[in-house]
Amino acid sequence: MSAPTGSTPEPTSPTGDRSTRRISAGVAAALAVTAVLVVIGIVALVVGLRGSPGTPAPPQPAAGGVVTAGAPATPGPSSSSPSASPGQGGTPTAGRTAGAAPGTVGIGDFLEASEPTSIEIPSIGVRSSHFVRLGIQADGTISVPGTAQEVGIYDAGPTPGQLGPAVLAAHVDTPSGVPGIFYELGRVRAGDVVTVSRRDGSHLTFTVDKVAAYRKSQFPTELVYKGDFTRAEIRLVTCGGPTDSRNEYRDNVVVFGHLSSAA
Amino acid sequence: MRTTTTRIAGAGLAAAAAMALSVGPAFAADAWVSANLKPVAGNGVDGSGTAMVEVTDTTITVTMAANGLLPDNPHAAHIHFGAEARHECPVLSDDKNGDGHLNTTEGGPAYGDIVVSLTKTGDTSPKSGLAIDRFSTAPGGKIAYQRGSIKVSSDVAKAISAGQSVVVIHGVDYNKDGKYSGATKSDLMPSLPTEATDPALCGALRVAPAGGMHTGGGQAADGLKSGGQNEALMLVGAGALLAAAGTGAFAARRARSRA
Repeated sequence: MSAPTGSTPEPTSPTGDRSTRRISAGVAAALAVTAVLVVIGIVALVVGLRGSPGTPAPPQPAAGGVVTAGAPATPGPSSSSPSASPGQGGTPTAGRTAGAAPGTVGIGDFLEASEPTSIEIPSIGVRSSHFVRLGIQADGTISVPGTAQEVGIYDAGPTPGQLGPAVLAAHVDTPSGVPGIFYELGRVRAGDVVTVSRRDGSHLTFTVDKVAAYRKSQFPTELVYKGDFTRAEIRLVTCGGPTDSRNEYRDNVVVFGHLSSAA
Repeated sequence: MRTTTTRIAGAGLAAAAAMALSVGPAFAADAWVSANLKPVAGNGVDGSGTAMVEVTDTTITVTMAANGLLPDNPHAAHIHFGAEARHECPVLSDDKNGDGHLNTTEGGPAYGDIVVSLTKTGDTSPKSGLAIDRFSTAPGGKIAYQRGSIKVSSDVAKAISAGQSVVVIHGVDYNKDGKYSGATKSDLMPSLPTEATDPALCGALRVAPAGGMHTGGGQAADGLKSGGQNEALMLVGAGALLAAAGTGAFAARRARSRA
């Protein structure tokens, strides 16, 4: 059946075909109500989609190198302790800058290239085996996955386990507010682990050094894509912070980790 | 890498780290680029690698890691650039002589000439391009290379910073006999077999993506690319249809009842 409209309803009654053409005052009123309802419905839907103030925001990093002063639940830069101790419970974990080690201390272990087949972050219950490749777009920015359930990997960078930081990105949610695969990423803490299985059969464990939020306008390109480039590292990126009138999140949440074991 | 370095690092590590944190930007390189090294088309290498080059004025620091190379044989490695080159790795259609392999000369239109020789010691100019005794021999098929204070011309520094240079590691083993051999002579040095100089791994040194990532629902503003966007539009459409259907049906009943 064709889609109904407010102005030309098509009753199936055999006697209705001519009568529907006569628009009385009562029908006109009903049609006006229809129009109003449509407007109200759309407005409500749009507001709902954009995330009303009551919409729960995705979790944010507790602390550590945060350059988003003023963001809800993202305290400003904390004094940094060089140790990233696991299992600090609810206390904010101090930021440890990946790549802070002075230059030429040698190159750590690294593996050959192999595509990831699954990623797991046990501390937030995330597991995915849907990967897509991310490239650089015409405007110089990185592409993002087409759906909120895929994890993208920056194709011009290392695969997880190779020397340098493998950069993986996924959506925090959909435009309608459905949580994406990295919705809980801001809950990850230093000391947590990220495990990656690869096509070559290897199983890698990365230990998280730092979790931080950065304004997209001050995105730490060098920390994310370069690191110190003397060990195998991983970066997990999603969106965070408040949204603007275009429903664009202000921040990127970044998890920094390094390869701690491979089997 | 050297014991001296690690000793210095011992006590001074915390201080150095703190310094790097507080005054890092002052020492930061002018630019940096990185590459994903992949097997050169047609040359049968099952290997991979990554490389990163920092540029400060006309000095570069190169960090490079590779696996899957012919073990225990010298592997010449260079940064290539040519103003007229395509600034990328060669493809099979670059195989001019049609032998199914790409030699170094055939790769020229893709990556240009040697501009830096990634030797372990001594000269790093193009003159050392085949200084076989000063390149890594890839023990276990692996190369872990780091060298700083490499001087380049300002044109080369500019090209590297712009993402136009290419890292190439040479040395293949077509006949799988564990050494550089075969009747075909090198296009670069006829005293060597072509296996010794044919490109094995290659990667274009590129600039990292600019800015942050659009990994939120706000991506919808960019167009109809994502499934989430479609879902949102469908919800809006469904809402409109529901409302219209409800009151529209009422209007229809009213119209009928008057007939």
